Formats: sequence, C-alpha cells, structure tokens
Amino acid sequence: MKSGKTSKKKDGAKIVLAPSGASPRNYGLPLPGINDEEFGGSLIVLEGMDGSGRSTQIALLTEWLESEGFAVETMGLRRSGLVAKDIDALLAENTITRMTLTLMYATDFYDQLEHRIIPALRSDFVVLADRYFYTLIARAGARGIQRDYLNGLYEMALRPDLTFWLNVRPEIAFEREFRKSHTISYWESGRDLSLSDDLFQSFILYQAKIKKEFESLSQRHGFLSLDGEASVISVNNELRKRIAAHLGISRTHYRPSSALAPLWR
Amino acid sequence: MIIIVGRGNYVTSDPLQDIDQLPSNPEEISKDISEKLEPSRKYPGALIVVEGIDGSGKSTQLYLLKRWLEINGYRLHFTEWNSSPLVKSATRRGKQRRLLTPTTFSLLHAADFADRCERQIMPLLHSGYLVLADRYIYTAFARDVARHCSPRWLRNLYHFAPVPDITFYFRAPLDVAVKRIMSGRPKLKYYEAGMDLNLSLDRAESFRIFQGRILAQYDEMVEGDNFVVMDGTLPVNSLQKQMRQMVKARIDLSRFAPKKSTRRPL
Repeated sequence: MKSGKTSKKKDGAKIVLAPSGASPRNYGLPLPGINDEEFGGSLIVLEGMDGSGRSTQIALLTEWLESEGFAVETMGLRRSGLVAKDIDALLAENTITRMTLTLMYATDFYDQLEHRIIPALRSDFVVLADRYFYTLIARAGARGIQRDYLNGLYEMALRPDLTFWLNVRPEIAFEREFRKSHTISYWESGRDLSLSDDLFQSFILYQAKIKKEFESLSQRHGFLSLDGEASVISVNNELRKRIAAHLGISRTHYRPSSALAPLWR
Repeated sequence: MIIIVGRGNYVTSDPLQDIDQLPSNPEEISKDISEKLEPSRKYPGALIVVEGIDGSGKSTQLYLLKRWLEINGYRLHFTEWNSSPLVKSATRRGKQRRLLTPTTFSLLHAADFADRCERQIMPLLHSGYLVLADRYIYTAFARDVARHCSPRWLRNLYHFAPVPDITFYFRAPLDVAVKRIMSGRPKLKYYEAGMDLNLSLDRAESFRIFQGRILAQYDEMVEGDNFVVMDGTLPVNSLQKQMRQMVKARIDLSRFAPKKSTRRPL
C-alpha cells in the first residue's frame, strides 16, 4: 500500500507521514490508511436543490444500470450509520450553530465515504450520489463560513467521475416541492438566516444564494449542468447518454419497469 | 522563541526554563516589545488551557487553579474536552460499536468542540470571563496525528478556535504517566488504548505505545504553539504554586475580580 510509508518506531518516536498522498482521485490528501488509486468503480454525483428532480433520476438510473448488469450503491446526505439520526435530532432542536452543523455533516459524509462508498468502489460498483459535499460547501458558504476552510475540510473526499448539476429556477423548485409535500422545509428555505418572514420569499432568497455558491463550485469542479426544468424523460436521456459513454455501455435504450412508470413523463 | 510573562512583562528565550529562573527585574524589558508580541484579542476575556497526556497531572492542577480563583471570587468558566451534550450520543454510539475511523473520530470531536466554542467559550470570552479549559485543540492535534490524520488537515479543521492566553503543558515521562493511569483505572477503553491502530493485541501495551506517540506530538508543538512546559513529576503543591504565579504574571486578574456592588445596602 502506497499510503503506508510510516516509520513505525517504538513509543516516543516521531511519526513520519507519507509525503502527501495527493492523487487524481482526491482533492489533495488521502484518507488515513486508504490508497485511493488501488480501487476501481465509478462515482457519479447528482446535485441540485430540492425539487430539481434528483431523487427521481437516481431511481431511474439505478434501475437502468442494474438492467445493464452494473451493481449500484447509493449515498446521500444524512444517511450515515454513525450520525444521521443525531443530525435529524439537532435540526429538529434548532439550537445548533453553523460550525457544529457543518462538522456534523462532514462526519456524516466521511462516514459514508469510508464505510459505504469506498467498499463499494473496491467491489467495482457504480456509486450514485444523491448530493455530494458540494451541497455542504454551498450551504456552509451561504452561512458565511470561509471557502478555504471548507475546501480544506473536504480535501480527502473522492473526486467523482461525473458530476451533474440539475439546474432549476427556485420558483419552479418551490412549486414542485409544495405540490409534493404541501410544505417547505425550514432548512431548505434557509429560515435560520432570517432572510424574510415569508416562507416563499425566504426560500427564493436562500436558493439564490445557494445557486451563486454552486456557480462558483461548478467552475472549480467542472459540473455538467443540465436543464432541470426539462421533462424527466429528456433529462434522463441526457444522463444515460453521458453515463453510458463513461461506462462503455453501447446500447442506451431504456423503458422503466411498471413500478417506476409513473415517474416517466 | 519568546514568551511573555504578562503583567511584569518578563521575557525569556526558553519556554522550558524553570519559572524560578525568570528575570526578576521586569523594568528591564521595554513595553513595546511585549505589546507587539501579545496576541491581538478581539474580546475582553482570557483563556487558560492545560494539556498533556493522560496521567500527567493536568486535571488536578487545573482544578486547584479553579478553586483558587473561585475562592477569590473571580468570574470564570470551566470547560472540558469532549463534553458537549449535543454530540455525546453520536460519540458514544461510534465508540460502542467501533464505527469510528481516524477521520470520523477526529470530526466528531471537532463538532463537539465547535458546539462548546460557539455556545460557551466565545460568548464568555466576549463577555469578559476567564475561561479555563481542561484539554483544548492541541489534544486533537496530538492524538489525531498519532492516528495518522494529516497535520495540515487538522490545523485547518480547528482554525476557528481562539488562541489561548496561556497553554500549560504538563509533561510527565511516559512510564510515570502510564503507571498513574494503570493503577487508577480498572480497564482501558478501546479507543483510549488506541486499539483501532493495531499497535498491540495487549491493551496495556497498546495504550503505552499510543501514549508515547501522543507525547512525541505534544513535544513537537512546544515551540510553535507557545506551550509553558510544567514538570509533571514535581509535587502537586509546588506545581500549583508555579501555575498561580504564572497566571498572575501573565493575566491581569483584576479584570475578572468581583464587581463591587454599586447598590446601597438595604
């Protein structure tokens, strides 16, 4: 293992760490004890605000990839075994401060990376990420935490093979979300920032901030921006075309099963 | 390196120097040097930190310092590492089920610290309190680097933490510290003993090796982080005497003295 260049002397000895361990797969640092160049698999990320159609597309892509014979693992925010429940509780309590929340989300992210994504990539899976650390940087950035700090925090994250950004106008996203659940989440509308007493106004102002953060992230990380306001079918066609090219799938025809057919419109 | 020893503005070139050997004539040192070197503060409070490996005697010393200040009526707040109720359940679960990697171990402790920092330490420093911390960010630096986390990543992670006014580093030889812990503690816990690092199958041996690595990391920080090194093998009361002298010399305690009541007695 490459990252094992540690001189292990007995107690009291100075620990010499591997020189840098930067690889094309990380953002400057490897995770301790992990050589990210030794495993394959593909990491594909879908980013976009609530109401941009992410979850729908992930469900369709999972079915398509499985029908093509690829093993699929998914990840998302607040899905770690370690702290997902704690973050839920903290958000409900509403006493949490921005730095603590940022670090709890980072814990959730790295726990999934180490316990779910890396083992899956080692087994040659395709990992579909329903949001990635980019959202976490955008949210924390919108709350005034420094960009350098955030980039440093996620320096050990894996670089995705493909990152899609489903771009929608906040007004459209609001409508879609409201139609679906008849309410808008406190956090997704950035109520903690006191932008407006009106829920709709607050949502629009907050998502505009997030969008600005995403525009600069997109420059830095090379997102593939897609029109999230287009029909599910045409967004899915575009996604499959790009992913097929990446994975070397020649035939990209796909019709959803009856279970997913209602999404196909 | 230079340390400033507060009110009297003693300057010494060696932080390891015994405090009894400090120059006795404060007037020798010009004021402007000390003003340049005094870290700029955006708050009226002050932060005193103790660091050192388990069994170095730091908690006993901080407790005695706290009692001394309390008895004299100073405005203070005491805070411990790893004690935020918000993050406690996650840490407990992670430890019990051994889910923690060096990275998530480090992040959870940082989240715990951030919660205390944002909700206690910073507001209290801004409102003019003397804050005493049993372990601080240097604990994370020493322990997490011993777990192979990147020093650069860690320094960034804790970048939001205020720099202490005094950091006392209680240095005890490994054997002395380990003996103190082993005699007082029935069973070493998994992460405490560094069992996640596969240093040894024997928990006591693993603990020894792990503590040795942490000790080496602390020693590395003495100069760059302006530690005041305290000899942990000295008797408790003489160490405490040194500590109180140092605090009096470096911090203007009158700022934290009980406010005289302006109200007329009934």
